[in-house]
Amino acid sequence: MIICSNCQHENVTGAVFCAECGAQLDGVQTLVTEAITDEQIEEELRKKAPRPDLDSAPANSWLSLHLMDSGKILPLASRNEFTLGRLSEGQPIMPDIDLTPYQAYASGVSRLHAVVKRDGSQVFVMDLGSSNGTYINGRRLNPHMEEGLNHGDILALGKLKIQILLRNI
Amino acid sequence: MSSAPLDYYGLLGVSRDASQEEIKRAYFEAAQKLHPDKNKAAGDTEIFLGVQQAYEVLSNPKRRAQYDAILSPEEKISLPYEYKFIYSRPSLIRLDEPQMFYVIVELQAPAARQKKSPPLNVALVLDRSTSMQGEKMDVLKATAIQIMRNLRPQDILSVVTFSDRAEVIIPAAYHQERTRLEARIQMIQPSGATEIYQGLEAGVKEVMRSIDSKRINHIILLTDGHTYGDEQQCLALASKLAEKGIGITSMGIGKEWNDIFLDVLSTRTGGSSAYIAEPRDIKNILIEKFDALAQTYADDVVMELTPTEGVELSDVFRLQPEPSPVSLETNRLHLGSILQDTSTRVLFEYMIHPKAVKSEVLAFLDGSLKVSISSQSMPVPLLRFRLKRPVSDSPEADPPPPEIVHALSRLMLYRMQERARKEIEKGNIDTATRQLETLASNLLSQGEKSLAQTILLEVDSLQKKHALSDEGGKKIKYGTRALFLAPPKKELVQ
Repeated sequence: MIICSNCQHENVTGAVFCAECGAQLDGVQTLVTEAITDEQIEEELRKKAPRPDLDSAPANSWLSLHLMDSGKILPLASRNEFTLGRLSEGQPIMPDIDLTPYQAYASGVSRLHAVVKRDGSQVFVMDLGSSNGTYINGRRLNPHMEEGLNHGDILALGKLKIQILLRNI
Repeated sequence: MSSAPLDYYGLLGVSRDASQEEIKRAYFEAAQKLHPDKNKAAGDTEIFLGVQQAYEVLSNPKRRAQYDAILSPEEKISLPYEYKFIYSRPSLIRLDEPQMFYVIVELQAPAARQKKSPPLNVALVLDRSTSMQGEKMDVLKATAIQIMRNLRPQDILSVVTFSDRAEVIIPAAYHQERTRLEARIQMIQPSGATEIYQGLEAGVKEVMRSIDSKRINHIILLTDGHTYGDEQQCLALASKLAEKGIGITSMGIGKEWNDIFLDVLSTRTGGSSAYIAEPRDIKNILIEKFDALAQTYADDVVMELTPTEGVELSDVFRLQPEPSPVSLETNRLHLGSILQDTSTRVLFEYMIHPKAVKSEVLAFLDGSLKVSISSQSMPVPLLRFRLKRPVSDSPEADPPPPEIVHALSRLMLYRMQERARKEIEKGNIDTATRQLETLASNLLSQGEKSLAQTILLEVDSLQKKHALSDEGGKKIKYGTRALFLAPPKKELVQ
């Protein structure tokens, strides 16, 4: 038996792809799995996540989103408010930041998921009633309620993890 | 032929350990094909005499023993095609639980050969029910006429239309006066219901008129509707056709035809079903099919299997040239044909149970392969094979070969939609929704954007109406099937 590392489905030995979620199975060995909580993962990531070089971002950006899976950094500037989500053909909804290239669909990002905004020197995030929720450091936010963000916080849209990099404004 | 003794076994197309019964059967088959009364082709009479001589020697146990004694022992039978087996793992594991094992059988025309395109004997069986009225019928008529103009002098084409009864528009023959025949096609008037058996039966009659193992004998069925009540008759007829080596390709136009039924009907003969979404696509798909038929190297590849205890053949799927499930209803699997330039690849999926892996070696596939090559008068020797894998206690860490990984990555997608459709039938809408969404995200990650979009739209319809749209179900099924032909993505092969 092989347990899929992605969805925990039990596959017959010798299977190459998980019958449930379609992920490629790594080996024929019966894998020993260990339960890891989301908190542990985030703790690890926060310890290990390299502090990216902020100087490369444009000078006027007040917030940079560090997409932790791909390592990409998106600097945000010019406006004081950005909606995050994913574009979907045939839908009139247009988020300011389209996260489709970063596996947004598979991570459970809603089309209009959350908004980040700046108010003076403070930066806030607000969930826009997304299906899979918005989390700060593993804590789920109430929808339509603003929450403050600090430098280094891990923001999760569904399963898509983004590290918040603030510039001193 | 040289002074060396004739290869009697090769002439009859039997293996060296063939039983008397097999020799007799092979002789009758060859004799029917080659008998000088029926067959005037130059050189065939000589082969026939050789076959007769071979039978006289091999059917007599005493003379056969004498002949066997002078036969050089290691002489390998030469086959007019190439074959290869690709295994998912080098060995099986001794386990107390079932395990999966995959094999790809690859068959190919030899590189060094004369390319001869075999003459066709094709019946076009066209639905002319009321629903065909309009663009569908117009394009269909134009296409039928174009196909007739493209025919080579040696080809035989018949055209049959059906609604609740069948009519032979063009009988099977060589056609000289094509303009007059074109007028007959022009005069087809849509009316009536759809009764596929009527059309199929008439089409079969036409093909049978000039059935010949040197031709590609084939029926192409085009319909846009459900048939009611005569499904079993159709399937029984398909089984008979399979025995005679006549293939059925079925094509469904639009959304209101029964893809599951047409699939079963075609796969019984080694053929496949195709989906024509828009009337304007009729032309390309039909002409492509005719081109593929003219490109046939070997027709009707049949694999006969002997079951092994504890080894369960759970699925067989043809990966190319036309991706399609293979019917597992009998132990004689019709794998389809081998084209001139494209290899035929068929994936076998095995579930191996613990009791089969007690010994050191497991022979999991025992069978023979029968191939008939239309351009050759000589019967093709039967290929017998016994595929074995060692059984080890510890598994290897090597990843499966890229061919297997690619094939399975596509089969996984195809199966997800099959499973989702089954769940919908059972009324498990939530499960089906989840499966379709997983399928869509898998497709997106492989860059198949438009198919993923189609699925997400269907998910919406599933939420509202608790069913897929007729169109969407087919788009998803044939869309995931078409993916088998797409080249492997880099990240999957590594």
